Amino acid sequence: MIGVQALTVRLGDFTLDNVSFTVPTGAYGVVIGPAGAGKTTLLESIAGLLPIRAGAVRLGDVDVTRVAPERRGLGLVYQHAYLFPHLTVRQNVAYGAADSALADEMTERFGLHLVGERDVRSLSGGERQLVALARALARRPDILLLDEPFAALDPRSRAAVRREVRTIYFERRCTVLHVTHDFAEAGLVGDIAILLDKGRLLQAGEPTDVFRRPATPYVASFLGAENIYLGTARPIRAITPDWSDAAEGQFAEHPLAFDTGSLTLYALGDAVPGTAHAVLRAEDVSLSLEALESSVRNQFRGHIVEIVAAGALSKVTVNVSGTPIIAAVTTRAVQELGLEPGREVVASFKATAIHIC
Amino acid sequence: MTLPSASGTRAPSAWRSAASPAATVVSATLASLFLLFLVAPLVGLVGAGGVAGVRQLAGDPELRAALGLTLLTATAATLCAVLGGTPIAYFLERRRFRARAVAIAVLDLPLLVPHPVAGIALLLVLGRGSPLGTLLLGAGLRVTGSVFGIVCAMFFVAAPLYVGGAREAFARVDRRYEAVARTLGDNAWRAFRRVTLPLSFRGLSAAAIVMWARAVSEFGAIVVLTYNPKVASVLSYDRFTTLGLPGALPVAAVLVVLAIVPLAALRALRHDA
Repeated sequence: MIGVQALTVRLGDFTLDNVSFTVPTGAYGVVIGPAGAGKTTLLESIAGLLPIRAGAVRLGDVDVTRVAPERRGLGLVYQHAYLFPHLTVRQNVAYGAADSALADEMTERFGLHLVGERDVRSLSGGERQLVALARALARRPDILLLDEPFAALDPRSRAAVRREVRTIYFERRCTVLHVTHDFAEAGLVGDIAILLDKGRLLQAGEPTDVFRRPATPYVASFLGAENIYLGTARPIRAITPDWSDAAEGQFAEHPLAFDTGSLTLYALGDAVPGTAHAVLRAEDVSLSLEALESSVRNQFRGHIVEIVAAGALSKVTVNVSGTPIIAAVTTRAVQELGLEPGREVVASFKATAIHIC
Repeated sequence: MTLPSASGTRAPSAWRSAASPAATVVSATLASLFLLFLVAPLVGLVGAGGVAGVRQLAGDPELRAALGLTLLTATAATLCAVLGGTPIAYFLERRRFRARAVAIAVLDLPLLVPHPVAGIALLLVLGRGSPLGTLLLGAGLRVTGSVFGIVCAMFFVAAPLYVGGAREAFARVDRRYEAVARTLGDNAWRAFRRVTLPLSFRGLSAAAIVMWARAVSEFGAIVVLTYNPKVASVLSYDRFTTLGLPGALPVAAVLVVLAIVPLAALRALRHDA
C-alpha cells in the first residue's frame, strides 16, 4: 500500500500542496498531470529523496516519513533511466540486487543477457528502460515507482516496455505508482487514477470513474473532454425513453434537465439544482443525417462548422442554435456520410453520457 | 536515446559564409597577435635557457632541491585541498541554502587578492604573534621560513581553483544518479563513493591538476612567508636579482617546461573523456 497523507513539499518556487491518496497493496496507481504538475516531486517525496515539510508517507503498514530512501523497500525508474554510465548492463542490473541469482534472472527475463557486457551508453531507448526496470526489480521491491517510463520511447519500444511492465506487475503483484502525462496510457494501465496539477490533487479514483465523472469542469477539460457547458440543472419528473438504458444502475441518480444557451440537455445525476456544468465527451456523440428512431432523447439538428481529421478519427463541430457540439467519428464515417462544413446533421447522445458537475 | 547537447548543435552554413574577406583577415591578424603575445615570451624563454636549464639540473644541487621542494609542496597542498575541498564542493553544489552565494564568493576571494597581500594575510593569522600562530608553534609548526609555510601559501592561493573545479565536476553529475543509487540500497556515502565519485572523477582530477599547476607557479605569497628554503619560483627571482637575466634564464626555462606536464595531463584527461 502507498498512503500519502496531507503531503506538502516545497522545492524552490514550487509547492506540492496537501496531497492525499491511497494506492492499495497490489494495485496499479497512475498519477496524471501536465508538465510542472509535481508528478516527479511526488514520486521523489514518496521515495524519501526530498525533504517533506508536512504530512506523512506510509508504505505497507509502516510510516516511512522519516525513513531513509534505502530502507523504504521500493524501486524507482525514471524517464531517462539514469543507468550508471561507468558500469556495464550486467553491472547495472546487479547494482542493488537482493542476490546475484535474482540479478541473473532479471537479466535473462528482460533479454539483456545478449547485451550484458555492453556499455549502457550504446543501448537504444527501449533497452535502457528495460535495464532500468530490471535493475529496480532485481532488488525485489514491494513498491515500484515509475516516472514516465515510456515517455522517451518510440511507439514500438513503448508498446514493448509497457507490455513488460504489465507482465511483471501481474507476475509479482507489487504495488505500482506510475506517473504519466498521457491520459490514454493512464486508462490502459491503471487501477487508480490520481490527477495532479500545479502541485494540487484534483481528483483520485478509478480511471473510468475519473474520466466519466470529473469532479470539476477544470478536471474535465484537463482530461480532454471536448464539450463542457455552463448552464442550469433542474430535476424533472418525466422519465425519458433512454433512462432505461442507464448502465445497470451505476448511474442510478435522478433525471435532470440541463439548460444551456438555447438547448436543453437531458441527463442523470445527483447534482444540486442550480448553476452547474455539463460534460460530454466527443466519442459519446453520434452523427446522422436524419433523426434516429431510437430511445435517445438528446437529439439536436444543426450544421457542421468544422471537421478536423486526426488519423483514424475526426472531430466534427456541429452548431446547434449557437451552441457547438463536438463529435468524434471515424474518418471513414465522415467520408461515407459525405460530411462537410455547412451540411445539416443530427447530433445525438444518451442521457447517461452527460455528467453534471 | 539521444539527448540534445550543446556540442551537437552546429551553426547553419550560411552563418559561416557571412563574414566578409576583410573581416576574416582582420580577425585572423588579431588572433595571431593575441597568440603571439602569449606564446612568444615562453617560447623565447625556453629557446634561450631550456638546454642550459636541463644541463644545469644535473650540476646545480640548489636548482634540483628547489624543484623537488616545489613538486613536494605543490603536491601536499593539492592533497590537502582534495581532502578538505571535495566535501565542501559537493555540499555547495548539492545543497541550496541562503548563504550559499556568499560562501562561494568567500571561497573565490583568495583568487582575487594580490598574492603578496595573501602572504601578508597569512603571516598575520598564522605568524608567531597571532593566537593561531602560537598554537601552531606549540605543535611544532612554524609558518615562516618553513616547508609548512610554503604549503600554506600554495594552499591559500590555489585551493579555490580546486573547489571551483570540483563544484563544476559535481554539477555535471545529475543528482538523480544518486537518487537511483539510494533507492537501490546505498546510503548517502555509499552512493557518493559508488556513483558520484566515479562519474565526477575526471572533473575532480582536472581540478586537482589545475590547482597543482597554480601551486607550482606561486611566488608572491610564498616569498612573504618563506624565502628560504627556496621553491623554484623564488629561486628564479633570487637568481635574477643576484645574477641577472642570464642567471635566471635556465631556472625560468625549467619552470616553463614543468608547466607542460599538467597541460599534457589535462589534454590526456579530455582525450580519454
